[in-house]
Amino acid sequence: MQETRSNYRESLKQLERQTLEALDMVVQALDRALEAVSYQDVELAGMVVADDDRIDGRYLEVHQGILSLLALQTPVATDLRIVAALLHVIRHAERMGDQCVNIAKLLPLSGYEAPKDKDLLDAIERMGQLARAQVSQSKQAFAERNPQLAYDLLRQDAEINQLNIDIFNRALAIGDDIETREWAMHMILVARCLERIGDNAVDIGEQTAFVVTGLFREFADASHPA
Amino acid sequence: MTPPDTESKEPIAVSTPDSTGQSQSINPGPSTELGPASAEETPDISALGAPKPKGAGHNVVLKGLNAYYGQQHAIKGVDLTFPAGEVTAIIGPSGCGKSTMVRCINRMHEEIPGAYAEGSVTLDELDVYAAGVDITSVRRLIGMVFQKPNPFPTMSIFDNVAAGLRLTGTRGENLRETVHKALRAVGLWGEVKNRLDKPGIGLSGGQQQRLCIARTIAVEPEVILMDEPCSALDPIATLKVEELIDELKERYTIVIVTHNMQQAARVADTTVFMLDGELIEHSPTSELFTKPKDERTERYVTGKFG
Repeated sequence: MQETRSNYRESLKQLERQTLEALDMVVQALDRALEAVSYQDVELAGMVVADDDRIDGRYLEVHQGILSLLALQTPVATDLRIVAALLHVIRHAERMGDQCVNIAKLLPLSGYEAPKDKDLLDAIERMGQLARAQVSQSKQAFAERNPQLAYDLLRQDAEINQLNIDIFNRALAIGDDIETREWAMHMILVARCLERIGDNAVDIGEQTAFVVTGLFREFADASHPA
Repeated sequence: MTPPDTESKEPIAVSTPDSTGQSQSINPGPSTELGPASAEETPDISALGAPKPKGAGHNVVLKGLNAYYGQQHAIKGVDLTFPAGEVTAIIGPSGCGKSTMVRCINRMHEEIPGAYAEGSVTLDELDVYAAGVDITSVRRLIGMVFQKPNPFPTMSIFDNVAAGLRLTGTRGENLRETVHKALRAVGLWGEVKNRLDKPGIGLSGGQQQRLCIARTIAVEPEVILMDEPCSALDPIATLKVEELIDELKERYTIVIVTHNMQQAARVADTTVFMLDGELIEHSPTSELFTKPKDERTERYVTGKFG
Protein backbone atom coordinates (compact mmCIF):
# COMPACT_ATOMS: atom_id res chain seq x y z
CA MET A 1 0.00 0.00 0.00
CA GLN A 2 1.48 3.21 -1.21
CA GLU A 3 1.38 6.41 0.85
CA THR A 4 -0.69 9.08 -0.88
CA ARG A 5 -1.64 12.72 -0.38
CA SER A 6 1.82 13.67 0.87
CA ASN A 7 1.22 17.43 0.63
CA TYR A 8 -1.96 17.13 2.62
CA ARG A 9 -0.27 15.01 5.25
CA GLU A 10 2.56 17.51 5.51
CA SER A 11 0.08 20.42 5.90
CA LEU A 12 -1.73 18.60 8.68
CA LYS A 13 1.52 17.85 10.51
CA GLN A 14 2.63 21.43 10.03
CA LEU A 15 -0.61 22.73 11.58
CA GLU A 16 -0.14 20.47 14.57
CA ARG A 17 3.48 21.63 14.98
CA GLN A 18 2.40 25.26 14.82
CA THR A 19 -0.33 24.65 17.38
CA LEU A 20 1.87 22.80 19.83
CA GLU A 21 4.59 25.45 19.46
CA ALA A 22 2.00 27.96 20.66
CA LEU A 23 1.95 25.99 23.93
CA ASP A 24 5.74 26.44 24.16
CA MET A 25 5.18 30.17 23.75
CA VAL A 26 2.66 30.01 26.60
CA VAL A 27 5.21 28.26 28.84
CA GLN A 28 7.72 31.01 28.07
CA ALA A 29 5.18 33.76 28.79
CA LEU A 30 4.17 32.02 32.00
CA ASP A 31 7.81 31.73 33.16
CA ARG A 32 8.32 35.42 32.63
CA ALA A 33 5.05 36.39 34.28
CA LEU A 34 5.88 34.27 37.33
CA GLU A 35 9.37 35.71 37.56
CA ALA A 36 7.89 39.19 37.34
CA VAL A 37 5.54 38.32 40.23
CA SER A 38 8.33 36.88 42.39
CA TYR A 39 10.56 39.92 42.00
CA GLN A 40 7.86 42.51 41.37
CA ASP A 41 9.60 43.17 38.03
CA VAL A 42 7.31 45.57 36.20
CA GLU A 43 9.56 45.83 33.13
CA LEU A 44 9.58 42.08 32.60
CA ALA A 45 5.80 42.17 33.00
CA GLY A 46 5.68 44.74 30.19
CA MET A 47 7.54 42.30 27.91
CA VAL A 48 5.00 39.60 28.64
CA VAL A 49 2.21 41.94 27.53
CA ALA A 50 4.05 42.96 24.36
CA ASP A 51 5.03 39.42 23.45
CA ASP A 52 1.47 38.15 23.59
CA ASP A 53 1.09 39.43 20.02
CA ARG A 54 3.17 36.44 18.93
CA ILE A 55 0.69 34.00 20.44
CA ASP A 56 -2.25 35.93 18.98
CA GLY A 57 -0.52 35.90 15.59
CA ARG A 58 -0.01 32.17 15.84
CA TYR A 59 -3.67 31.73 16.66
CA LEU A 60 -4.67 33.56 13.47
CA GLU A 61 -2.15 31.61 11.43
CA VAL A 62 -3.40 28.22 12.63
CA HIS A 63 -7.02 29.28 12.31
CA GLN A 64 -6.49 30.31 8.68
CA GLY A 65 -4.49 27.16 7.99
CA ILE A 66 -7.31 25.00 9.33
CA LEU A 67 -9.93 26.80 7.24
CA SER A 68 -7.82 26.23 4.13
CA LEU A 69 -7.26 22.59 4.95
CA LEU A 70 -11.00 22.03 5.49
CA ALA A 71 -11.87 23.81 2.24
CA LEU A 72 -9.19 22.24 0.08
CA GLN A 73 -8.58 18.78 1.49
CA THR A 74 -11.79 17.74 3.27
CA PRO A 75 -10.16 15.79 6.08
CA VAL A 76 -12.21 12.89 7.49
CA ALA A 77 -11.96 10.26 10.25
CA THR A 78 -8.97 10.69 12.60
CA ASP A 79 -7.66 13.56 10.48
CA LEU A 80 -10.94 15.40 10.95
CA ARG A 81 -10.83 14.83 14.70
CA ILE A 82 -7.27 16.15 14.82
CA VAL A 83 -8.27 19.27 12.89
CA ALA A 84 -11.28 19.90 15.15
CA ALA A 85 -9.09 19.36 18.22
CA LEU A 86 -6.37 21.70 16.93
CA LEU A 87 -8.95 24.44 16.58
CA HIS A 88 -9.72 24.01 20.29
CA VAL A 89 -6.10 23.65 21.35
CA ILE A 90 -4.98 26.84 19.59
CA ARG A 91 -7.90 28.67 21.16
CA HIS A 92 -6.90 27.43 24.61
CA ALA A 93 -3.28 28.45 23.95
CA GLU A 94 -4.48 31.92 23.01
CA ARG A 95 -6.57 32.10 26.22
CA MET A 96 -3.63 30.96 28.35
CA GLY A 97 -1.48 33.65 26.73
CA ASP A 98 -4.14 36.18 27.72
CA GLN A 99 -4.04 34.93 31.32
CA CYS A 100 -0.28 35.54 31.38
CA VAL A 101 -1.00 39.08 30.15
CA ASN A 102 -3.60 39.48 32.90
CA ILE A 103 -1.01 38.44 35.51
CA ALA A 104 1.54 40.84 34.03
CA LYS A 105 -0.91 43.73 34.02
CA LEU A 106 -1.66 43.27 37.73
CA LEU A 107 1.94 44.01 38.76
CA PRO A 108 2.19 47.76 38.13
CA LEU A 109 -1.02 48.16 40.15
CA SER A 110 0.78 47.05 43.30
CA GLY A 111 3.70 49.41 42.73
CA TYR A 112 7.41 48.74 42.74
CA GLU A 113 7.62 47.39 46.31
CA ALA A 114 8.89 43.88 46.97
CA PRO A 115 6.34 41.10 47.64
CA LYS A 116 4.83 41.40 51.10
CA ASP A 117 4.23 37.89 52.40
CA LYS A 118 6.49 34.89 51.97
CA ASP A 119 3.84 32.21 52.60
CA LEU A 120 1.50 33.70 50.07
CA LEU A 121 4.26 34.18 47.51
CA ASP A 122 5.45 30.58 48.03
CA ALA A 123 1.93 29.34 47.32
CA ILE A 124 1.73 31.47 44.15
CA GLU A 125 5.11 30.15 42.98
CA ARG A 126 4.07 26.57 43.69
CA MET A 127 0.85 27.15 41.77
CA GLY A 128 2.83 28.68 38.90
CA GLN A 129 5.12 25.64 38.72
CA LEU A 130 2.11 23.33 38.63
CA ALA A 131 0.39 25.38 35.93
CA ARG A 132 3.59 25.37 33.87
CA ALA A 133 3.93 21.60 34.28
CA GLN A 134 0.29 21.18 33.23
CA VAL A 135 0.77 23.17 30.04
CA SER A 136 3.86 21.12 29.13
CA GLN A 137 2.12 17.89 29.97
CA SER A 138 -0.96 18.82 27.93
CA LYS A 139 1.34 19.41 24.96
CA GLN A 140 3.16 16.12 25.46
CA ALA A 141 -0.07 14.16 25.87
CA PHE A 142 -1.49 15.63 22.66
CA ALA A 143 1.72 15.09 20.67
CA GLU A 144 1.97 11.47 21.87
CA ARG A 145 -1.80 10.84 21.63
CA ASN A 146 -1.58 9.63 25.21
CA PRO A 147 -4.98 9.73 26.94
CA GLN A 148 -3.58 8.45 30.27
CA LEU A 149 -1.14 11.33 30.43
CA ALA A 150 -3.99 13.66 29.47
CA TYR A 151 -6.23 12.31 32.20
CA ASP A 152 -3.42 12.74 34.74
CA LEU A 153 -3.78 16.52 34.23
CA LEU A 154 -6.89 16.31 36.37
CA ARG A 155 -4.84 15.16 39.37
CA GLN A 156 -2.50 18.14 39.03
CA ASP A 157 -5.41 20.46 38.49
CA ALA A 158 -6.94 19.36 41.81
CA GLU A 159 -3.75 20.53 43.55
CA ILE A 160 -3.88 23.88 41.77
CA ASN A 161 -7.49 24.33 42.80
CA GLN A 162 -6.63 23.59 46.43
CA LEU A 163 -3.76 26.13 46.35
CA ASN A 164 -6.18 28.68 44.91
CA ILE A 165 -8.42 28.22 47.95
CA ASP A 166 -5.43 28.33 50.33
CA ILE A 167 -4.25 31.60 48.78
CA PHE A 168 -7.68 33.11 49.16
CA ASN A 169 -7.81 32.15 52.84
CA ARG A 170 -4.28 33.36 53.47
CA ALA A 171 -5.09 36.70 51.84
CA LEU A 172 -8.16 37.10 54.03
CA ALA A 173 -6.07 36.61 57.15
CA ILE A 174 -3.12 38.73 56.07
CA GLY A 175 -3.62 41.55 58.58
CA ASP A 176 -4.42 45.23 58.71
CA ASP A 177 -1.62 46.85 56.72
CA ILE A 178 -3.32 48.51 53.74
CA GLU A 179 -0.49 47.98 51.26
CA THR A 180 -0.03 44.33 52.21
CA ARG A 181 -3.75 43.74 51.86
CA GLU A 182 -3.80 45.40 48.46
CA TRP A 183 -0.90 43.23 47.32
CA ALA A 184 -2.65 40.16 48.68
CA MET A 185 -5.82 41.02 46.77
CA HIS A 186 -3.77 41.23 43.60
CA MET A 187 -2.25 37.85 44.39
CA ILE A 188 -5.77 36.41 44.62
CA LEU A 189 -6.29 37.62 41.06
CA VAL A 190 -2.95 36.15 39.96
CA ALA A 191 -3.97 32.85 41.53
CA ARG A 192 -7.25 33.00 39.65
CA CYS A 193 -5.36 33.41 36.34
CA LEU A 194 -3.13 30.43 37.16
CA GLU A 195 -6.16 28.38 38.08
CA ARG A 196 -7.72 29.21 34.68
CA ILE A 197 -4.51 28.18 32.88
CA GLY A 198 -4.76 24.82 34.66
CA ASP A 199 -8.36 24.46 33.45
CA ASN A 200 -7.31 25.23 29.88
CA ALA A 201 -4.61 22.56 30.11
CA VAL A 202 -7.25 20.03 31.26
CA ASP A 203 -9.40 21.07 28.28
CA ILE A 204 -6.49 20.31 25.97
CA GLY A 205 -6.27 16.93 27.68
CA GLU A 206 -9.93 16.35 26.84
CA GLN A 207 -9.18 17.11 23.20
CA THR A 208 -6.38 14.53 23.28
CA ALA A 209 -8.82 11.92 24.55
CA PHE A 210 -11.26 12.95 21.80
CA VAL A 211 -8.66 12.53 19.06
CA VAL A 212 -7.76 9.06 20.33
CA THR A 213 -11.19 7.68 21.20
CA GLY A 214 -13.54 9.68 18.97
CA LEU A 215 -15.70 10.44 22.00
CA PHE A 216 -15.74 13.82 23.64
CA ARG A 217 -16.39 13.95 27.34
CA GLU A 218 -15.35 16.38 30.01
CA PHE A 219 -12.85 14.92 32.47
CA ALA A 220 -14.57 16.81 35.27
CA ASP A 221 -17.91 18.56 35.20
CA ALA A 222 -17.78 21.81 37.16
CA SER A 223 -21.58 22.13 37.25
CA HIS A 224 -22.09 18.54 38.47
CA PRO A 225 -19.03 17.74 40.59
CA ALA A 226 -18.58 14.09 41.49
CA MET B 1 -9.22 -7.45 -11.38
CA THR B 2 -12.08 -5.43 -12.75
CA PRO B 3 -15.19 -7.31 -13.72
CA PRO B 4 -16.11 -7.15 -17.41
CA ASP B 5 -17.92 -4.03 -18.43
CA THR B 6 -21.63 -4.61 -18.40
CA GLU B 7 -22.77 -1.06 -18.08
CA SER B 8 -24.95 -1.19 -21.10
CA LYS B 9 -26.97 -4.11 -19.78
CA GLU B 10 -30.52 -3.16 -19.05
CA PRO B 11 -32.48 -4.74 -16.21
CA ILE B 12 -35.72 -4.51 -18.09
CA ALA B 13 -35.85 -7.25 -20.67
CA VAL B 14 -35.99 -5.02 -23.70
CA SER B 15 -33.47 -4.99 -26.51
CA THR B 16 -30.38 -3.58 -24.93
CA PRO B 17 -29.13 -0.25 -26.23
CA ASP B 18 -25.43 0.22 -26.65
CA SER B 19 -24.46 3.17 -24.53
CA THR B 20 -20.96 3.46 -25.94
CA GLY B 21 -20.46 6.37 -28.23
CA GLN B 22 -23.16 8.40 -26.62
CA SER B 23 -22.13 11.72 -25.28
CA GLN B 24 -23.42 15.19 -24.79
CA SER B 25 -21.60 16.28 -27.90
CA ILE B 26 -24.28 14.70 -30.06
CA ASN B 27 -26.98 16.82 -28.49
CA PRO B 28 -28.87 18.43 -31.35
CA GLY B 29 -29.60 21.63 -29.49
CA PRO B 30 -28.32 23.61 -26.54
CA SER B 31 -28.88 21.97 -23.19
CA THR B 32 -31.79 23.22 -21.19
CA GLU B 33 -30.37 21.68 -18.03
CA LEU B 34 -29.86 25.08 -16.44
CA GLY B 35 -32.47 26.89 -18.46
CA PRO B 36 -35.36 28.83 -16.97
CA ALA B 37 -37.69 25.88 -17.37
CA SER B 38 -35.69 23.90 -14.84
CA ALA B 39 -34.92 26.72 -12.46
CA GLU B 40 -38.09 26.30 -10.45
CA GLU B 41 -38.63 22.59 -10.79
CA THR B 42 -37.97 20.21 -7.98
CA PRO B 43 -38.63 16.49 -8.01
CA ASP B 44 -42.23 15.84 -7.06
CA ILE B 45 -42.34 12.46 -5.42
CA SER B 46 -45.93 12.97 -4.38
CA ALA B 47 -46.77 12.41 -8.05
CA LEU B 48 -46.22 8.75 -7.29
CA GLY B 49 -48.97 8.68 -4.66
CA ALA B 50 -49.05 8.83 -0.87
CA PRO B 51 -45.70 8.22 0.84
CA LYS B 52 -45.18 4.84 2.37
CA PRO B 53 -45.42 4.82 6.14
CA LYS B 54 -42.02 4.60 7.81
CA GLY B 55 -40.72 1.06 7.91
CA ALA B 56 -43.32 -0.17 5.42
CA GLY B 57 -40.81 -0.54 2.59
CA HIS B 58 -38.80 -3.57 1.70
CA ASN B 59 -35.53 -4.77 3.15
CA VAL B 60 -32.91 -6.46 1.04
CA VAL B 61 -30.91 -9.03 2.99
CA LEU B 62 -27.72 -10.69 1.82
CA LYS B 63 -26.66 -13.83 3.67
CA GLY B 64 -23.36 -15.56 3.09
CA LEU B 65 -23.13 -14.07 -0.38
CA ASN B 66 -20.22 -15.30 -2.48
CA ALA B 67 -19.69 -14.33 -6.09
CA TYR B 68 -17.24 -15.68 -8.63
CA TYR B 69 -15.92 -14.89 -12.07
CA GLY B 70 -14.82 -18.39 -13.00
CA GLN B 71 -11.97 -19.15 -10.59
CA GLN B 72 -11.85 -15.66 -9.22
CA HIS B 73 -13.61 -15.21 -5.88
CA ALA B 74 -14.99 -11.66 -6.12
CA ILE B 75 -17.36 -11.50 -3.13
CA LYS B 76 -16.33 -13.38 -0.02
CA GLY B 77 -19.15 -14.27 2.32
CA VAL B 78 -20.98 -10.97 2.75
CA ASP B 79 -23.84 -10.64 5.25
CA LEU B 80 -25.63 -7.34 4.91
CA THR B 81 -29.06 -5.75 5.26
CA PHE B 82 -30.17 -2.81 3.15
CA PRO B 83 -33.00 -1.29 5.18
CA ALA B 84 -36.15 0.09 3.57
CA GLY B 85 -36.45 3.84 3.41
CA GLU B 86 -32.72 4.32 3.65
CA VAL B 87 -29.88 5.00 1.30
CA THR B 88 -26.94 2.68 1.69
CA ALA B 89 -23.71 3.68 -0.03
CA ILE B 90 -21.01 1.21 -0.95
CA ILE B 91 -17.47 2.53 -1.19
CA GLY B 92 -14.11 0.91 -1.74
CA PRO B 93 -11.21 0.88 -4.18
CA SER B 94 -11.65 -0.31 -7.76
CA GLY B 95 -12.02 -4.05 -8.01
CA CYS B 96 -13.14 -4.47 -4.38
CA GLY B 97 -16.44 -6.02 -5.47
CA LYS B 98 -18.86 -3.11 -4.97
CA SER B 99 -20.46 -3.37 -8.41
CA THR B 100 -20.39 -7.14 -8.37
CA MET B 101 -22.24 -7.15 -5.07
CA VAL B 102 -25.08 -4.92 -6.29
CA ARG B 103 -25.29 -6.90 -9.53
CA CYS B 104 -25.89 -10.00 -7.45
CA ILE B 105 -28.93 -8.33 -5.90
CA ASN B 106 -30.91 -8.26 -9.17
CA ARG B 107 -29.18 -11.28 -10.70
CA MET B 108 -27.25 -9.36 -13.30
CA HIS B 109 -23.95 -10.84 -12.17
CA GLU B 110 -24.77 -14.22 -13.66
CA GLU B 111 -25.25 -12.65 -17.10
CA ILE B 112 -21.46 -12.58 -17.47
CA PRO B 113 -20.11 -15.83 -18.93
CA GLY B 114 -18.52 -17.96 -16.20
CA ALA B 115 -19.89 -15.80 -13.40
CA TYR B 116 -22.03 -17.22 -10.62
CA ALA B 117 -23.14 -16.46 -7.07
CA GLU B 118 -23.79 -18.51 -3.93
CA GLY B 119 -25.59 -17.68 -0.73
CA SER B 120 -28.89 -15.90 -0.44
CA VAL B 121 -30.40 -12.59 -1.46
CA THR B 122 -33.89 -11.91 -0.21
CA LEU B 123 -36.30 -9.07 -0.78
CA ASP B 124 -38.55 -9.45 2.24
CA GLU B 125 -39.89 -13.01 1.76
CA LEU B 126 -38.86 -13.28 -1.87
CA ASP B 127 -35.76 -15.41 -2.34
CA VAL B 128 -34.21 -13.80 -5.39
CA TYR B 129 -32.20 -16.92 -6.23
CA ALA B 130 -34.95 -19.50 -5.60
CA ALA B 131 -35.55 -22.03 -8.36
CA GLY B 132 -38.32 -20.96 -10.68
CA VAL B 133 -38.09 -17.27 -9.85
CA ASP B 134 -38.73 -15.18 -12.95
CA ILE B 135 -35.62 -13.05 -13.46
CA THR B 136 -37.54 -10.40 -15.36
CA SER B 137 -39.90 -9.87 -12.47
CA VAL B 138 -36.93 -9.75 -10.06
CA ARG B 139 -35.48 -6.98 -12.17
CA ARG B 140 -38.78 -5.17 -12.26
CA LEU B 141 -38.82 -5.16 -8.46
CA ILE B 142 -35.14 -4.29 -8.24
CA GLY B 143 -34.38 -1.54 -10.75
CA MET B 144 -30.95 -0.36 -11.71
CA VAL B 145 -29.35 2.90 -12.80
CA PHE B 146 -25.94 2.83 -14.44
CA GLN B 147 -22.81 4.92 -14.57
CA LYS B 148 -23.38 6.28 -18.05
CA PRO B 149 -26.91 7.40 -18.83
CA ASN B 150 -28.19 4.82 -21.30
CA PRO B 151 -31.51 5.90 -22.79
CA PHE B 152 -32.65 3.73 -25.68
CA PRO B 153 -31.06 5.68 -28.53
CA THR B 154 -33.79 5.19 -31.09
CA MET B 155 -36.65 5.99 -28.74
CA SER B 156 -38.32 9.26 -27.87
CA ILE B 157 -38.27 10.67 -24.34
CA PHE B 158 -41.78 9.33 -23.78
CA ASP B 159 -41.02 5.87 -25.16
CA ASN B 160 -37.88 5.59 -23.05
CA VAL B 161 -39.93 5.87 -19.88
CA ALA B 162 -42.77 3.81 -21.33
CA ALA B 163 -40.59 0.91 -22.54
CA GLY B 164 -40.69 -1.14 -19.34
CA LEU B 165 -44.35 -0.33 -18.73
CA ARG B 166 -45.40 -1.61 -22.15
CA LEU B 167 -43.80 -4.95 -21.30
CA THR B 168 -46.02 -5.21 -18.26
CA GLY B 169 -49.05 -4.60 -20.44
CA THR B 170 -49.76 -0.99 -19.50
CA ARG B 171 -51.51 0.81 -22.32
CA GLY B 172 -53.32 3.99 -23.29
CA GLU B 173 -54.22 6.71 -20.79
CA ASN B 174 -52.85 4.65 -17.93
CA LEU B 175 -49.48 4.47 -19.66
CA ARG B 176 -49.45 8.18 -20.43
CA GLU B 177 -50.34 9.01 -16.83
CA THR B 178 -47.61 6.80 -15.36
CA VAL B 179 -44.93 8.19 -17.70
CA HIS B 180 -45.89 11.76 -16.77
CA LYS B 181 -45.81 10.90 -13.07
CA ALA B 182 -42.35 9.35 -13.37
CA LEU B 183 -41.04 12.40 -15.24
CA ARG B 184 -42.49 14.67 -12.56
CA ALA B 185 -40.98 12.54 -9.83
CA VAL B 186 -37.47 13.02 -11.22
CA GLY B 187 -37.99 16.75 -11.75
CA LEU B 188 -37.76 16.45 -15.52
CA TRP B 189 -41.35 17.23 -16.50
CA GLY B 190 -40.98 20.99 -16.94
CA GLU B 191 -37.87 20.49 -19.02
CA VAL B 192 -39.27 17.89 -21.44
CA LYS B 193 -43.07 18.25 -21.51
CA ASN B 194 -42.99 20.08 -24.84
CA ARG B 195 -40.73 17.60 -26.54
CA LEU B 196 -41.82 14.19 -25.34
CA ASP B 197 -41.62 12.85 -28.88
CA LYS B 198 -38.01 13.97 -29.35
CA PRO B 199 -35.14 11.46 -28.95
CA GLY B 200 -34.03 10.74 -25.39
CA ILE B 201 -30.42 11.07 -26.38
CA GLY B 202 -31.07 14.71 -27.32
CA LEU B 203 -31.11 15.58 -23.64
CA SER B 204 -28.05 16.68 -21.67
CA GLY B 205 -26.12 14.08 -19.71
CA GLY B 206 -27.75 15.04 -16.43
CA GLN B 207 -31.22 15.03 -17.98
CA GLN B 208 -30.53 11.65 -19.59
CA GLN B 209 -29.58 10.22 -16.22
CA ARG B 210 -32.77 11.52 -14.64
CA LEU B 211 -34.65 10.09 -17.65
CA CYS B 212 -33.09 6.71 -16.87
CA ILE B 213 -34.14 7.06 -13.23
CA ALA B 214 -37.67 7.91 -14.43
CA ARG B 215 -37.61 4.75 -16.60
CA THR B 216 -36.53 2.75 -13.57
CA ILE B 217 -39.20 4.06 -11.21
CA ALA B 218 -41.99 3.96 -13.84
CA VAL B 219 -42.33 0.20 -13.35
CA GLU B 220 -42.73 0.75 -9.59
CA PRO B 221 -39.79 -1.20 -8.26
CA GLU B 222 -39.19 -1.77 -4.54
CA VAL B 223 -35.44 -1.31 -4.70
CA ILE B 224 -33.24 0.95 -6.80
CA LEU B 225 -29.61 -0.02 -7.33
CA MET B 226 -27.37 2.76 -8.58
CA ASP B 227 -23.92 1.98 -9.86
CA GLU B 228 -21.96 5.24 -9.84
CA PRO B 229 -24.93 7.15 -11.20
CA CYS B 230 -23.16 10.53 -11.18
CA SER B 231 -19.65 9.73 -12.30
CA ALA B 232 -20.36 10.92 -15.86
CA LEU B 233 -22.26 14.04 -14.74
CA ASP B 234 -21.19 17.61 -14.07
CA PRO B 235 -21.40 18.95 -10.49
CA ILE B 236 -24.81 20.62 -10.87
CA ALA B 237 -26.38 17.57 -12.52
CA THR B 238 -24.76 15.48 -9.78
CA LEU B 239 -26.37 17.57 -7.05
CA LYS B 240 -29.76 17.26 -8.78
CA VAL B 241 -29.48 13.49 -8.85
CA GLU B 242 -28.40 13.50 -5.19
CA GLU B 243 -31.44 15.65 -4.32
CA LEU B 244 -33.57 13.16 -6.16
CA ILE B 245 -32.06 10.21 -4.30
CA ASP B 246 -32.92 11.92 -1.04
CA GLU B 247 -36.52 12.35 -2.23
CA LEU B 248 -36.81 8.82 -3.58
CA LYS B 249 -35.66 7.11 -0.41
CA GLU B 250 -39.02 7.57 1.26
CA ARG B 251 -40.50 5.18 -1.33
CA TYR B 252 -37.64 2.89 -2.24
CA THR B 253 -34.77 1.01 -0.72
CA ILE B 254 -31.74 2.59 -2.37
CA VAL B 255 -28.26 1.18 -2.79
CA ILE B 256 -25.64 3.40 -4.38
CA VAL B 257 -22.15 2.39 -5.42
CA THR B 258 -19.88 5.39 -5.57
CA HIS B 259 -16.21 6.25 -5.93
CA ASN B 260 -16.95 9.69 -4.61
CA MET B 261 -16.68 9.52 -0.84
CA GLN B 262 -18.16 12.98 -0.45
CA GLN B 263 -21.17 11.78 -2.39
CA ALA B 264 -21.57 8.85 -0.02
CA ALA B 265 -21.24 11.31 2.87
CA ARG B 266 -23.93 13.56 1.36
CA VAL B 267 -26.57 11.04 0.36
CA ALA B 268 -26.23 7.89 2.42
CA ASP B 269 -27.72 7.00 5.79
CA THR B 270 -25.29 4.16 6.23
CA THR B 271 -22.11 3.39 4.35
CA VAL B 272 -20.45 0.08 3.60
CA PHE B 273 -16.71 -0.13 3.04
CA MET B 274 -15.47 -3.09 0.99
CA LEU B 275 -11.97 -4.31 0.28
CA ASP B 276 -10.89 -7.34 -1.76
CA GLY B 277 -14.41 -8.75 -1.86
CA GLU B 278 -14.93 -8.51 1.89
CA LEU B 279 -17.25 -6.28 3.82
CA ILE B 280 -14.91 -4.42 6.17
CA GLU B 281 -17.28 -2.04 7.86
CA HIS B 282 -20.94 -1.02 7.76
CA SER B 283 -21.66 2.05 9.88
CA PRO B 284 -23.90 5.09 10.02
CA THR B 285 -22.35 7.43 7.46
CA SER B 286 -21.47 10.21 9.88
CA GLU B 287 -19.72 7.67 12.09
CA LEU B 288 -17.82 6.06 9.24
CA PHE B 289 -16.39 9.41 8.19
CA THR B 290 -15.58 10.74 11.67
CA LYS B 291 -14.83 7.63 13.70
CA PRO B 292 -14.36 4.54 11.54
CA LYS B 293 -14.09 1.31 13.51
CA ASP B 294 -11.63 -0.45 11.28
CA GLU B 295 -8.09 0.70 10.58
CA ARG B 296 -8.50 -0.19 6.88
CA THR B 297 -11.58 2.03 6.59
CA GLU B 298 -9.62 4.82 8.25
CA ARG B 299 -6.80 4.44 5.77
CA TYR B 300 -9.14 4.41 2.79
CA VAL B 301 -11.34 7.38 3.72
CA THR B 302 -8.37 9.53 4.72
CA GLY B 303 -6.70 8.69 1.41
CA LYS B 304 -3.74 6.85 2.92
CA PHE B 305 -4.05 4.29 0.19
CA GLY B 306 -5.79 4.47 -3.13
